[in-house]
Amino acid sequence: MALQTIVQTVARTLAEEMVRDDAVVLLGEDVGKRGGVFLATEGLFDRFGPDRVIDTPLSEAAIIGAAIGMAVHGMRPVAEIQFADYVFPGFDQLVSQAAKLRYRSGGGFSAPMVVRMPAGGGVAGGHHHSQNPESHFVHTPGLQVVYPSTPSDTRGLLRSAVRGQDPVVFMEPKRLYRAVKEELPDDDATIPIGQARLRREGDDVVLISYGASMAETLKAADALAAQGVSADVIDLRSLLPWDQDLVLERVARVGRVVVISEAPRTLSFASEVAATIAEEALDLLEAPPVRVTGFDVPYPYAQDRAYLPGPDRILHAVQRVLDY
Amino acid sequence: MIGNVRRFEPFGEAPIRVIDDDGRWVAPFACDIDVARQRAIYRDMLRARRFDERLSTLQRQGKVSFVASAAGHEATQIGAAHALDATRDWTFPYYRDLALALALGWPLAEALAQQTASRLDPARGRQMPAHPGSAALRIFTTASAIASHVPPAVGSAMAQKLAGRGDVTLCSFGDGATSEGDWHAALNLAGAQGAPAVFLCQNNGYAISVAFRHQSGSADVATKAHAYGMPGYRVDGMDPLAAYYVTRQAVERAREGLGPSLIEALVYRYGPHSNADDDGRYRPADEVAAWRRRDPIVRYRRYLEGRGLWDDDAEAALAAEIKAEIDDAVRANAGAGRAPLGWMFDDVFAALPPHLRRQRDELALTHDLERDGH
Ligand SMILES: Cc1ncc(C[n+]2csc(CCOP(=O)(O)OP(=O)(O)O)c2C)c(N)n1
Repeated sequence: MALQTIVQTVARTLAEEMVRDDAVVLLGEDVGKRGGVFLATEGLFDRFGPDRVIDTPLSEAAIIGAAIGMAVHGMRPVAEIQFADYVFPGFDQLVSQAAKLRYRSGGGFSAPMVVRMPAGGGVAGGHHHSQNPESHFVHTPGLQVVYPSTPSDTRGLLRSAVRGQDPVVFMEPKRLYRAVKEELPDDDATIPIGQARLRREGDDVVLISYGASMAETLKAADALAAQGVSADVIDLRSLLPWDQDLVLERVARVGRVVVISEAPRTLSFASEVAATIAEEALDLLEAPPVRVTGFDVPYPYAQDRAYLPGPDRILHAVQRVLDY
Repeated sequence: MIGNVRRFEPFGEAPIRVIDDDGRWVAPFACDIDVARQRAIYRDMLRARRFDERLSTLQRQGKVSFVASAAGHEATQIGAAHALDATRDWTFPYYRDLALALALGWPLAEALAQQTASRLDPARGRQMPAHPGSAALRIFTTASAIASHVPPAVGSAMAQKLAGRGDVTLCSFGDGATSEGDWHAALNLAGAQGAPAVFLCQNNGYAISVAFRHQSGSADVATKAHAYGMPGYRVDGMDPLAAYYVTRQAVERAREGLGPSLIEALVYRYGPHSNADDDGRYRPADEVAAWRRRDPIVRYRRYLEGRGLWDDDAEAALAAEIKAEIDDAVRANAGAGRAPLGWMFDDVFAALPPHLRRQRDELALTHDLERDGH
């Protein structure tokens, strides 16, 4: 089996799900003939035809809203938002309709559907091709939110998302789309939404991250290892629900923690993790939890790399918790 | 209306033309554009095309990160720009409107600084390339989010209406934009308010890969104007004089308090959607070639030559002038450096709040804030 990138894994997993279940349909801008602007749906239009791979007009409200309407008919729509930055014209559909449908109907209706969106910076894309809007979704009760960082996690989580009972915002780390490769076994394994993954074991500090920042976090862990500091590394993978058990268990063991996320700091998911740790494990901590995040500015164009939490900023934060 | 003569009827069958593909005048009225402007329209088209080509070269050299070429759209953008009064009207462009912005007076050197986020960019290197804007020229800074500028354009027109000076707002976008809810909300509001707005749709037949027949069940864009109570005009967008005259009529109408108009200009983008696109996946090469044969620059040059307003000497002099201007701008900009890291924290608000001051100090622990961004 050849090595697969994340973006190839998305296309392959979608194809497998479409074969498995006729109710699975794809819709979005340029997902058809073009195969998606990142090629995450490459080949699927030719294979499954225009009724199941639907090139929509340029309206995120129409895409997400129509997915909801299809879902209540028992279909399994997988909507693509071309860039996470462009979800906002469809935000009302996500927040007012998808997220609350089950609740407001007392379980009478539900909208099991997936809204995929490439997210994150580092691609010289400026304000509108770089953002990480996960906090908006996490802050909307009724939406599940995942943000994997490897091909195998992408596959297992996408399967769970397509087969699940609730709307899932499926964020994909576009900076890593072609940068991380893995051989994928020929299985049908799913990864439950809400389960984190321990990527490294170490004794001196716990590094917690998710999505595209995982790459920088692992680089920082390598640099720390070279300095004789061993880092535990957790990839959250799911943000809502999230794996508090694993996080608290590892943090309790090590006592020092740095949380890394490229979204702006205030009300970031990193803040949620840090607050939970402070609340649940304060007496086990050797140092306050420290966040390394994007800054509270609109995603900048020319300062892309300094804005992103790179190994330099992560190492600086680690030093702070080690020296505390 | 021009001098109280309404030259063009809305919702016509055939696209409005003033000169044909061979550059012959075909309109049922005489040309009243002064000679200087007739030549300036040509100059603006050639200048925009050459600059566009240079940006693609810079992109291939790794000096510009992104290009959304306006090649094929020049006649519409420049014809429309000449119908505005750049000293008083407002423009709300989209990312493909480089030719429009240049024709409105955006200095080429500033445009280049924007493309490269250099320290010479008055917008301080905040945006990716292909995002025109100038506070000094009342060109509303482009946002990438499609159609998000259309409601603000209507607000601009409402403010102009209240000010009562007869100024107007031109708002430009592609065919794809007409599917967004914001677009419909905005046109509806403009119609209800009788706002002095001119909506200019550059319909190049595709929104990235999506052909117009999949974009909308409407036969065309102009027809959507019906629903909002405004005239809709379909124009041959490869004819700069058609774009000029129809926009002029819409502008005059708005100035006189008769409300908004929608113009659909039929254009074609010669290149892929952007340097990141592969248009071979969704459109046939012979379609591209057929449109290129209708090139507005060639066509308009024939028109000028037919009127005795242009010749080879004028062409050579103009080409040399444009090349020198672009070369100078590239040279000056190359030495200017990129927007430095520290600029990232400015202009979020009018004043730097304490939390951003702390974050800036934090970045300074690991980075030199004076260093060029990258
Ligand atoms: C709200 C939003 N959704 C999606 C995109 C991604 N996108 C960028 S350009 C484009 C197509 C636009 O086509 P059109 O409006 O016809 O303009 P053209 O590029 O053809 O000039 C899309 C889908 C975006 N910029 N904004």
